Amino acid sequence: MAPSRTLHVRLGTWDQVEVFATKKLRRGKLLSMKVPFAAEAGGKLTLGLELPNGVVIAIDSIVQKTSPVDGTQSSGKTWIELELTGFTPEVVERIKKMQAGLEHGTPTSAAVPVPPVGKEDSSPTLTPANTPPPVAELAPRRRTNNSMAPLQVPPPTDERSQFQELTTELRRMRTLAVHEVLGVAPAADANEVRAGWMALVQRYHPDLYARFAAPAITHLAEELMILVNRAYDRLRLALVAEGRALSAGSVLHQPPGWLVGWDDIASARADGEPTRPRMASSQMPPLSLTTAQTAPPASAVQGGEAFEVRARAMLGEGNPDNAQEVLAAALCVYPRSRPLRSLYYVASALGAIAKGEVMLATSQLETALAHYEQCSEAAALLEHVRRTGTVETSEMRRLFT
Amino acid sequence: MTERAIGIDLGTSNSVIAVIDRDGMPRILTTEEGSTMMPSLVWYTSDGPRVGDAARPGLDEAPDLTIFGAKRLLGRRFDHPEIRRLARLLPYELVEAPNGDTWIQLSAGKAVSPEEVCALILRELRRTAEAFFKAPVTKAVITIPAWYDAAQRQATKDAAQIAGLSVMRLLSEPTAAALGYGAHRGADCKYLVCDLGGGTFDVAAVDVAKGVFEVLATTGDPFLGGDDVDRAIVEHLVRDVRQTRGLDVTMDAIAVEKLRLGAQRAKHELSTHQHADVQIPELAQLPSGKAVEYVKRLARADVETWAASTVERLEAPICEALARANRTPDEMQDILLVGGMTRMPTVRREIERVLGRAPSVIENPEEVVAVGAALEVARLQGAISGILLVDVAARGISVSRGQGECERVIHQSAVVPTREHRVFPSRMDNQARLEFDVWEGESPTPAENRHLGRYAAVDLPEAVAGDVLVLLELTLDTDGTLRLGATEMVSSERLQLEQVFHAGLSRADVSRLARQLAEGS
Repeated sequence: MAPSRTLHVRLGTWDQVEVFATKKLRRGKLLSMKVPFAAEAGGKLTLGLELPNGVVIAIDSIVQKTSPVDGTQSSGKTWIELELTGFTPEVVERIKKMQAGLEHGTPTSAAVPVPPVGKEDSSPTLTPANTPPPVAELAPRRRTNNSMAPLQVPPPTDERSQFQELTTELRRMRTLAVHEVLGVAPAADANEVRAGWMALVQRYHPDLYARFAAPAITHLAEELMILVNRAYDRLRLALVAEGRALSAGSVLHQPPGWLVGWDDIASARADGEPTRPRMASSQMPPLSLTTAQTAPPASAVQGGEAFEVRARAMLGEGNPDNAQEVLAAALCVYPRSRPLRSLYYVASALGAIAKGEVMLATSQLETALAHYEQCSEAAALLEHVRRTGTVETSEMRRLFT
Repeated sequence: MTERAIGIDLGTSNSVIAVIDRDGMPRILTTEEGSTMMPSLVWYTSDGPRVGDAARPGLDEAPDLTIFGAKRLLGRRFDHPEIRRLARLLPYELVEAPNGDTWIQLSAGKAVSPEEVCALILRELRRTAEAFFKAPVTKAVITIPAWYDAAQRQATKDAAQIAGLSVMRLLSEPTAAALGYGAHRGADCKYLVCDLGGGTFDVAAVDVAKGVFEVLATTGDPFLGGDDVDRAIVEHLVRDVRQTRGLDVTMDAIAVEKLRLGAQRAKHELSTHQHADVQIPELAQLPSGKAVEYVKRLARADVETWAASTVERLEAPICEALARANRTPDEMQDILLVGGMTRMPTVRREIERVLGRAPSVIENPEEVVAVGAALEVARLQGAISGILLVDVAARGISVSRGQGECERVIHQSAVVPTREHRVFPSRMDNQARLEFDVWEGESPTPAENRHLGRYAAVDLPEAVAGDVLVLLELTLDTDGTLRLGATEMVSSERLQLEQVFHAGLSRADVSRLARQLAEGS
């Protein structure tokens, strides 16, 4: 075995660097991997660790164990366990510094400045509150920093280098996943996605290249823009479908109010529906105030049970207005849920009764039943309202608790 | 001599040209008559067409040969209900073209497409600009209503091509207005643009942030405008003529046209005065040959009552635009009123009532769109930097095969330029051609969408059914026009696409007309 053998390990994002440092390495030193050659225990290997900023760090290692894949030597592939002797605390420190340095240069959210604006412009005030402060340690960081962010250098002015740059960029982008195109983490929120897209628009919009009057350059820019727009549209639709963003035209923004915090319900679903992979519970933001207390019931049919429980509690307390608001928000997320719809109308009816509008209440209750026949509360209330013309607080408690 | 580019606001009733001077100031070019606006009129006389102010007498003399409002017909299907309605009202005759488009019948056996009419107007505008620059003008930015579909956009481009202008960009009118009004103000702003012109009403919510103009939502009424108010006034004048003069002029196209012109003039005057006179020296002739003079004093209040049904229709598009943009009127930082009709006090009042606040006063509501177009020209030439326009697809694009349902390919409000693809396997052994239809709209039912065309990928390689895979790529470019491309996936060879049916003029027609027009001049 040649002692000079080097394994090239490419880490495209800082997320991957973290995973490498925390998950892949056992006891901070040991790395298991499959290699396409026969290796001997005790041999030496060099690991070329390519970081997202393009820097390659050479790390010396010693092969500790080997075992052939498929149990035979013939395939040529071997499982090896390496002890990374060169992965010293100094190296870790250096990586951290590089990461921190890069963070400082390209904030994930603030729009990347157009050419005349320099690096120093991206002051912390531009970063929205949800961007984590630049932290140096590798492990607790959740959002990747943006290795795909457009370069900070002003675009070249002559046509030839412009052409070459765009060609390279197009070739690179074609291989990327949608979130990588925009340079955001897979679980990025609306603001990050929009900022990533906007930065690219301000760099590659074909109109910016119209002054060259060169069809080839405009075409390249347009192709780049198509890729960028498509990535944005995919992420945008996904975010809107998940209820994590609202969209109007090309604008994307986070929904107002407490609806932002409904992630936890989705991830804690009891039924067999697959939870979204990007919402693994370890990555959850802190639970929001309003939805945290309610545990979803086990009998999940159409989703939104936590909302239902919460709304029922509010109705039981004699607070139909708040319940209606909760249900309205829930319906944004689960527009097809019949129980939620009927409960919404029940809440509306109770609100009407409180104001003495019995006619309105009756029609609302009838609507509730039209949406969901099995809504026993609506049936009981309707019966009651028709008989007495009003609802006692005690009656409400009895129904909803 | 360098070739110049201009910004054109191609309006339903009037068109405006603007350029950006060397010192960066926008300038509206005037016609030979000294007006900043050229009426969008074409009069087909026996010795060739007359355009603009020269065509004005045609409205009186030959209303059936004087085409106004051709923009409303551009890229429209003849069976569109509004076209059916217009066909009854217009003094000239509309006919159905072989592909279902609306054309204009001039005389027996001679029909022109709206594209040709618009091309004549564009050529006249081009001449005006060339006289100003003393240099050839070959490029232009043309503004279009935001709700224009792909066929109408293509028709506008075709018209420009026939007129010898290459379109640098089709710019939506609300965006142009926001650009023309807001570009030099620089600050971030949230605009609501209400554009009520001669024939169309557009509403758009436009956000400006860090020099990026984004359209959040556009709505509009393609058949609501000043013409409707004119028509309401004419109806009352016709009734008045019958009552006071005992003459029924409803069947007299020339008299009605004269009343329309008088009504239009009076309407303009009433924007600033409380009263205006309609004076028509020769409305009609009595059987004795004696001319009937008609004079009528109109009060603003009366006209406002007559226009009420038109003005009422403003509310729905405004509310819809706000709803789509997730905004309340208070969140809009500036409300722009654009288009000549917004000078009318009752229109202003209605918009103020709907939004609950006063709109901004623009000095030149007719010209601001053209200024926006001129700024766009300067921007595309690199004279202005720091401004970007981002637009979205006005409608989705769907594709269907055979009698099947439409399948959405590009969704509404996808940011343009964008591209999507579909793969179609062949259905028969040795299938040589594969036909598919392209629709604008997202409904699965073809009838509810606008048919853009039927295309066929031809010369497919011989193979068993399902082995030939045709990759169809639909590209919606920055102008919102659609390009198609097909590739055979196994051999990855480009395939020829044949137009079996298509809306609008064919490429061959466009270049033939362009040649004809160039030779004629």
